[in-house]
Amino acid sequence: MKKLFISMLAIAALVITSCGEDDPIAAPGPDLSDNLISGLITENKTLTNDRVWDLQGRVIVTSGAVLTIEPGTIIKGLPGQGANASVLVIARGGQIQANGTASNPIVFTSIADNIALGQTRGTNLTENDRGLWGGVIVLGNAPCSFRGDVAAAQIEGIPASDTNGLYGGSVAADNSGVLNYVSIRHGGTNIGEGNEINGLTLGGVGNGTTISNIEVVANVDDGVEFFGGTVNASNLFVWACGDDSIDIDQAYSGTITNVGVVLGDISDHAFEIDGPEGSATGSFTINNATIFGNTNTPNGEYADYRSRAQGATNNVYATGFKASSDVELDNNGVSQNYLDGNLTFTNWVINLPTGGVAAANEVFVEKVGCAQNCDDDDDSNDILENFITTFTADAAAWASAGTSGGADLSAFSWTYSNAAAGLGF
Amino acid sequence: MQNSKVLVLATFLLGFFLSFGQNGTLTGKVIDGDFNDVLAFANIAAKNTNYGTASDFDGKYSIEMAPGTYTIVFTFVGYSTKEITDVVIKSGEVTNLEVTLTSAADALESVVIVVTKRQNSEKAVLDVQKNATVVLDGLSSESIKKAGSSSVASAVKAVPGVSVQDGKFVYVRGLGDRYTKTLLNGMEVPGLDPDRNALQLDIFPTGVIENLQVKKSATADLTSDFTGGIVDILTKDIPSSEEYSISLSLGYNPQMHFNDDYLTSGSSGTDFLGFDDGLRDSPIAIGSTIPLLQQDGALVRTLTQSFNPELAAMREKSFMDFGFSFAGGNKYKFESGNALGFTTSLAYKNETEFYDNFVDGQVFRKRADTSNNEPRIDRTQQGSIGTNNVLLNALLGVTYKTQFSKYRINLLHIQNGESNAALIFQQNAEQSSNQTKKDVLTYTERSLTNVLISGEHTNKDGSWNTEWKLAPTLSRVDDKDFRTTPFRIDGGVPTIEPSEAGDPTRLFRELEEINLASRLDFTKKHQLFKKSAKLRFGAGFTFKNRNFAVDQYSFILQDFQSSQFNGDANQILDPANIYDPATGSGVAVRSDFNITNNFDSQITIGSAYVSDEFQVTDRLKSIVGLRFEKFDLTYSGQNQQGQVSDNAKFIDKADVFPSLNLIYDINEARSFKLRGSYSRTTARPSFKEASDAEIFDPVSNFFFIGNRDIQPTYINNVDLRLEKYGAGIDFFAFSTFYKDFTDPIELSFIREAAGQFTPLNLGNATVLGAEIEVRKNLAFLTPSLKNFSTTLNVSVIDSKQQYSEDEEANRRDTLRDGEVLEDTRPLQGQSPYLVNAGLVYESENNLRVGAFFNVQGRTLQIVGSGDIPDVYTLPFNSLNLTANKTFGDKIKHSFGFKIENLLGDDVESEYEFFGAENKTFSFRSPETSFSLSYGIQF
Repeated sequence: MKKLFISMLAIAALVITSCGEDDPIAAPGPDLSDNLISGLITENKTLTNDRVWDLQGRVIVTSGAVLTIEPGTIIKGLPGQGANASVLVIARGGQIQANGTASNPIVFTSIADNIALGQTRGTNLTENDRGLWGGVIVLGNAPCSFRGDVAAAQIEGIPASDTNGLYGGSVAADNSGVLNYVSIRHGGTNIGEGNEINGLTLGGVGNGTTISNIEVVANVDDGVEFFGGTVNASNLFVWACGDDSIDIDQAYSGTITNVGVVLGDISDHAFEIDGPEGSATGSFTINNATIFGNTNTPNGEYADYRSRAQGATNNVYATGFKASSDVELDNNGVSQNYLDGNLTFTNWVINLPTGGVAAANEVFVEKVGCAQNCDDDDDSNDILENFITTFTADAAAWASAGTSGGADLSAFSWTYSNAAAGLGF
Repeated sequence: MQNSKVLVLATFLLGFFLSFGQNGTLTGKVIDGDFNDVLAFANIAAKNTNYGTASDFDGKYSIEMAPGTYTIVFTFVGYSTKEITDVVIKSGEVTNLEVTLTSAADALESVVIVVTKRQNSEKAVLDVQKNATVVLDGLSSESIKKAGSSSVASAVKAVPGVSVQDGKFVYVRGLGDRYTKTLLNGMEVPGLDPDRNALQLDIFPTGVIENLQVKKSATADLTSDFTGGIVDILTKDIPSSEEYSISLSLGYNPQMHFNDDYLTSGSSGTDFLGFDDGLRDSPIAIGSTIPLLQQDGALVRTLTQSFNPELAAMREKSFMDFGFSFAGGNKYKFESGNALGFTTSLAYKNETEFYDNFVDGQVFRKRADTSNNEPRIDRTQQGSIGTNNVLLNALLGVTYKTQFSKYRINLLHIQNGESNAALIFQQNAEQSSNQTKKDVLTYTERSLTNVLISGEHTNKDGSWNTEWKLAPTLSRVDDKDFRTTPFRIDGGVPTIEPSEAGDPTRLFRELEEINLASRLDFTKKHQLFKKSAKLRFGAGFTFKNRNFAVDQYSFILQDFQSSQFNGDANQILDPANIYDPATGSGVAVRSDFNITNNFDSQITIGSAYVSDEFQVTDRLKSIVGLRFEKFDLTYSGQNQQGQVSDNAKFIDKADVFPSLNLIYDINEARSFKLRGSYSRTTARPSFKEASDAEIFDPVSNFFFIGNRDIQPTYINNVDLRLEKYGAGIDFFAFSTFYKDFTDPIELSFIREAAGQFTPLNLGNATVLGAEIEVRKNLAFLTPSLKNFSTTLNVSVIDSKQQYSEDEEANRRDTLRDGEVLEDTRPLQGQSPYLVNAGLVYESENNLRVGAFFNVQGRTLQIVGSGDIPDVYTLPFNSLNLTANKTFGDKIKHSFGFKIENLLGDDVESEYEFFGAENKTFSFRSPETSFSLSYGIQF
């Protein structure tokens, strides 16, 4: 509707201009060359789908401002590292309204991508083109569990001198807006402090926010990372990211429903899940996930549950992993949570890799950390923690061998990945 | 290869030759004990001979005399006459005799003081101290030689209340380098570390030093920007006669030298001279834009190929420490009586260190559960590091002296190159869970070029003295091609994983500072209350400009499996692995340049002062002074929010600094004194601190954020000191001092952002201290110990720093159960005690043997942040032994032997945990080292 109105305005402008070239009062049409987004967005702004937008440097939607992105809008990030990294940040109190559709998703990609207006994908980049721009960061006021129990923390990569980088608070129902049918590709550049940015970073985002139908492809770091917060997310798809596909930290306490993960040639864990850092606790829930492994990547694990992680991982189907890949409890801290019933697993179906894995429960492994003499230069005298669980044996109760289960993959049929990799969803 | 070059240079230096005459020379200086200044136009005569002269306006004199034994008489109107007996003049040799004359208590009665030559010369330095109007400690080049110190940094440790951090930075009274000022010939020179305010002292060889003074209380003629002390390095001026010396030294540490495991990297052809010949230059102009390889793959390939492909630390047998120096000087007298003197020196030092097992930058945290005291491991980090440090310096000074004027030009160049190669293993347990191996190669080139042009003029009766100085200095620090290559190694095959362990990076940093210092001083001797007094007034102007720029590159892997490298860092830039547009895969360079790392700042300081030094009573002397300083700092740069500052004024201060020094002679012999002083001083933020710069340091992984609102600190200083001068060198002093700091500056962490730091004006702080200093010949125990003397000085300091709001909240939140938060904590860098002790044996046949011990107390090194506790530096018990023996008459040969760190102590700092064992932050073991030296003087 709005699009039509703009088109009519444009036609009207043409008509008026042709009527009298000397007429100084020409009705303004959209200046399509005005496509650069940079700096602070302090007032409501709309990114229209009539042009390809360029994202330059750190763009921050500050508190009180709303950034609306029309369905089908393409945003291309310019290259740059550290402080120059092209990142879209929604600060606490700011909102994004990016409500795409399956046929008109909103696409964030690199300036190097030849995708053109009206298309959903370019032809010149592959899943191995990573780190060409930054990513999307949404920050909110929802509770997080921080070290030292500070009330708020600064998101990685933005210096503390810029308070727009703070996230966390006490508003569980905080609303940062809507991200729906959004595809984020080829990002993950170094954002500073030696940290690469995630495809979608959610810091302290509250459950008044809608996160659904999100795709992240070829990011250097994680696909989607939840730093605390309460937001629920559904239909997340991650392909060929350099690090972990879904990463949870700082006592994230929402529910993630229907996840698809396809590891690439250098991907790490499908799930990397940490627990609270401070005294505040919170449990995640993952329901229905299908994870596709990769035998080329040197790492490529199913999942790593670390440092006091707590929550439930239910209904997972995993296929295509290496025989050496595992689901691990990283150390005594998380193992104790498992023993206490704060970390649970139900219905994992594993398509057993050939060679070495005889039963599905063998994939589930308890590891121990170093307990003493860890800080000297002699590894041989390290005293390790004791094993405290019967995790592998227990896993027989929830893990079985099979070739189906997990996520409803049809929810990902709209994705670029599905088309580019011919996944057949 | 490198050694043969050194040999050629040494042979060249030996080529210098010499000649000497029949007569001997008596030379020296006459000091005005009333003002601790030189005494011009004093008469010097050899009793019962025709030999005689007068001191010049510099207080200096020189007489050619036939060999023999004389009594020398020093006289000056209104002053006590001094006779020095047993002065031996040898053919072709120079005999040095420095005396101090003080005004006669009763001018009508002539007082003659008779001392032997030996007693006199040993006391010369103490006399300066005794008569000083400020609380001062000095070291003459003689005493530096005695302690066997090769650089100013190690020599200055012998001064009471002085400690040296990292072997470079001076702490006076345990106050950090922020509160200590280093001057060269009384003029400010820029430091060589972008993060410090002070100049590092290890770059000054002792050979160029005339003397070294540490002033601990302020007078109006001194810059007000110091609190702990001023270290003034005075380089050699006009020599007393023609003199040349050459010395060679070798140092051996069994752990570090001739070790096959030593780590190094390819060196450039000029590394042995202390600079890089361009090998480590960045192949790309700073700030250049590099396209994405998806945009211009061919260009990216060419640029990637242009980098030096060496990234791995390489094992090679290490060599030992060696060095040589040459010093020479001569004086020409013209018929007019004018004199021209020159002094020159060239010194070279090449030192190699290797730590096979060092630990650094480990991180341990407190647990979220406050009932659990057990530390949580975040990161352990250990490895091996090899360091080669080359120091070359050249000094040339020319002085022209007429009857009433002296002109001096002094050129000093210091060149230093330091290369490091390290292999570091890291275990991460928090942010990431992995093990990494890093090859780290660094090279830092530092240089300092200082010119001093000065003039001094006096009127006929010496009552007016005018002195001017101009001292431009250019200093540069180039961090060239810092190469860090991290491999993740816990997954079996080593891999490059940027999100786990970071990218392979190269860093280039340039710091250039121009410093133009000038001052003009007038001194007028006059009468006040019918007693001699000295009025001083003057003005100064200093301009400083610092330019700091950083450039950084990373290497990314495009569609390429890093496991192919097999953990060999050199494989990364192997020609076969560089990105090729034809295949679409390989290693490609990426620019990580960031404008917010860079800045350009200026400081101007205009100053004017007036002071008067006068006798209040016969026993009480006072110096009252007032100093005015106008300080401005302007900044040009850009922060990450895009805010651009172009010559923005960040600090604009006009301040008045009063000072009062009182010296009371408790006894008539003036050997028992009470000194008191009050002064107001300041401590100003560094260029980097008073900035808008946001600088990420990939070496420490810390993010520094400048503070454009930071303000100078103001300090009130009170000193009380009781001094007792005994026979010979015997000396005892007791001092107490109190300082209160308004708005002290400290690098503080930011609670919400771990790893980010910013300088802040904290709450007020106080420092209360006491010092004892003893120098004593041991003959008082039994006469047979007359060749032994001992020195001891002990400082005990209590500092209290109030917390900032963030810090207090943070400390409260992370307290363990049962732990109590103190109201204050120690000042960062302030050690609670310092001890220096020495025992020296000196025989009549020129053998000197000494043992020197030095330790400083447990010192707060890093203020804890978040759940990371405070880090304390542990005491390092340093015991050194030296022995020197000199032979020969006209040509003197000297042999020296030195053992350093005889106790084999380790350098260590640790995290302080409540209710649990402390954890190591850093550790290295220098072990015991031995050195030999030979010198010839002719």
